[in-house]
Amino acid sequence: MRPILMKGHERPLTFLRYNRDGDLLFSCAKDHTPNVWFADNGDRLGTYRGHNGAVWSCDVSRDSTRLITGSADQTAKLWDVQTGRELFTFRFDAPARSVEFAIGDGLAVITTDNFMENVPTAQVKRIAEDPDDQSEESLLVITGIKGRINRAVWGPLNRTIITAGEDATIRIWDTETGQCLKESDKEQGHQKTITSLSKSADWSHFLTGSLDKSAKLWDTRTLTLIKTYVTERPVNAVDISPLLDHVVIGGGQDAMNVTMTDRRAGKFEAKFFHKILQEEIGGVKGHFGPINALAFNPDGRSFSSGGEDGYVRLHHFDSDYFNIKI
Amino acid sequence: MAGMAPEGSQFDAKHYDSKMQELLHQGDNEEFFTSYDEVFESFDDMGLQENLLRGIYAYGFEKPSAIQQRGIVPFCKGLDVIQQAQSGTGKTATFCSGILQQLDYGLVECQSLVLAPTRELAQQIEKVMRALGDYLGVKVHACVGGTSVREDQRILASGVHVVVGTPGRVFDMLRRQSLRPDHIKMFVLDEADEMLSRGFKDQIYDIFQLLPPKIQVGVFSATMPPEALEITRKFMNKPVRILVKRDELTLEGIKQFYVNVEKEDWKLDTLCDLYETLAITQSVIFVNTRRKVDWLTDKMRSRDHTVSATHGDMDQNTRDIIMREFRSGSSRVLITTDLLARGIDVQQVSLVINYDLPTQPENYLHRIGRSGRFGRKGVAINFVTRDDERMLFDIQRFYNVTIEELPANVADLL
Repeated sequence: MRPILMKGHERPLTFLRYNRDGDLLFSCAKDHTPNVWFADNGDRLGTYRGHNGAVWSCDVSRDSTRLITGSADQTAKLWDVQTGRELFTFRFDAPARSVEFAIGDGLAVITTDNFMENVPTAQVKRIAEDPDDQSEESLLVITGIKGRINRAVWGPLNRTIITAGEDATIRIWDTETGQCLKESDKEQGHQKTITSLSKSADWSHFLTGSLDKSAKLWDTRTLTLIKTYVTERPVNAVDISPLLDHVVIGGGQDAMNVTMTDRRAGKFEAKFFHKILQEEIGGVKGHFGPINALAFNPDGRSFSSGGEDGYVRLHHFDSDYFNIKI
Repeated sequence: MAGMAPEGSQFDAKHYDSKMQELLHQGDNEEFFTSYDEVFESFDDMGLQENLLRGIYAYGFEKPSAIQQRGIVPFCKGLDVIQQAQSGTGKTATFCSGILQQLDYGLVECQSLVLAPTRELAQQIEKVMRALGDYLGVKVHACVGGTSVREDQRILASGVHVVVGTPGRVFDMLRRQSLRPDHIKMFVLDEADEMLSRGFKDQIYDIFQLLPPKIQVGVFSATMPPEALEITRKFMNKPVRILVKRDELTLEGIKQFYVNVEKEDWKLDTLCDLYETLAITQSVIFVNTRRKVDWLTDKMRSRDHTVSATHGDMDQNTRDIIMREFRSGSSRVLITTDLLARGIDVQQVSLVINYDLPTQPENYLHRIGRSGRFGRKGVAINFVTRDDERMLFDIQRFYNVTIEELPANVADLL
């Protein structure tokens, strides 16, 4: 497959997200300006200007009308996808990290970092249909987690929220009561910072990536460890194919050490594993810095990667990919 | 195998090392440097003010790099500092943070002066300073040649906290008293060895003489030869030093190759053969003279290759446009002189070509350091004629690096 190189960011990529229909790809980077691209040919469609810091993540509503972004400028913003107009700003006392809309798009979970005396939090905001009715109020504030929360996502039916981050622990929280219902097992679970989390298409299981050089597959309801995929590099990004039993894992050496070691030490390829057999089935090279973001198109026929090198690379799978034998 | 480089040649490692030893350990100068060995593994531990921390995290920094772990705090304490670190490892953020921590934001007078050798670099530093200092309300101005003198005077009159400039314009503003030095308490030289070299030294002296007698001085560069280090003794007060040995200066992450083109006339064909590879990401091609930039640009364009070019003789507006286009990726191949060898940070540059080997030894390191910036691997390709073979050998020995012959599948390297 010959990748499409998408140039629009002047600093490292942080996050990628397709809309539900798979025709749009949203990218976030340490420059302040998220971009939206056509997902078939990689043409840039637009930008969202307003943030004043690195943008760590985004999410798009089911009907592709609303975008939410979380930024190191201590805000999360709502945008009109089509016009690029800024609709609302949620303000915090610490950098905002992870954002995700709930099913039905009536709620969003936003995490804030530990900063100065602020503890890390995951907060639930109501998302008003009419931007004029939008309020800053948090319906729920989850605390009690040590270390940055790198990712927080909704569980099935919006009854739970799943958090993962710096303390290497995955937790499931009740959205009604704010109680912690489950924690990942210390021995079976990740041993270092969890960097990324991605849900399966039906939300029944999810995949986490960690600096401990592995990715792990978990049952969403029971938090049972299902599978582990071992690589030789810290993992920054993971995603699950919606079509085949494949997962993709990417990362590479810590950005701080990249220039100090030989090219071979970088390990910047995106690696594909068979989800069930846990065997590596292939890799895709191209980035010259660590991969920070990965996403499958919802149709399962292409995927995108974003790197420390500032590029988004869009790959449409060859027909061979769909006939891989193990 | 030839022996050591001849005594006194520009890549004479023995001379470099003995001179460095002499400077660092002279008996009667044992007290010239201050020891400062503390390392801070997070920005939170450095005692920085809250709004500076907000700016650092908003910029997207999460952990300090090696030079930042050692270099920010001594600068914040008002100590003179000499800080050397490999290309692309965070020196700019180090001195920007140190300056921002110490400014009095209630006093809208110039309190810090940063000098850089090129306009492009000064503008880049200004941008980083402005971003890191956003929550502090810092007012920073890039005072560089080729722009409106009247506009500079107007901005300086309205008050700024920090001036980042090139020596010629800054001296002019000081001389006209548009820039008043009364409150300047921090003076930073970026790319300090270049600033203290023959080309700039006199201008630096002239500026320094106009500054207040009690002033904190910081000098920063990826290369710090003994000649530059010796000059710092004249105007620095017991600096804290962070130095890197010459054979540890190159970055393993930048893969270096040579192509034996044999004759000067054959370089152009070699470059055209590589063009398809050049345009995959972004590349910088270095030549040694401005005339040659123009010549090579014309030749490449006449062969239907899209390239852009910049050098010191071009008017500033054009230089700015070309730089902006290159940064944004509108243009992908940039031909230039050593004007852009130092400091310039463009995210997607992954390949540097030395069409000519540099005439100044330090610039070899600076040129190839335009790729392989923080978090990214890079590739450097040197075009070598028969006359250049000796210099290539000297570079390898001096910097303790292996430069291999370029393999056929160069595209796989990128």
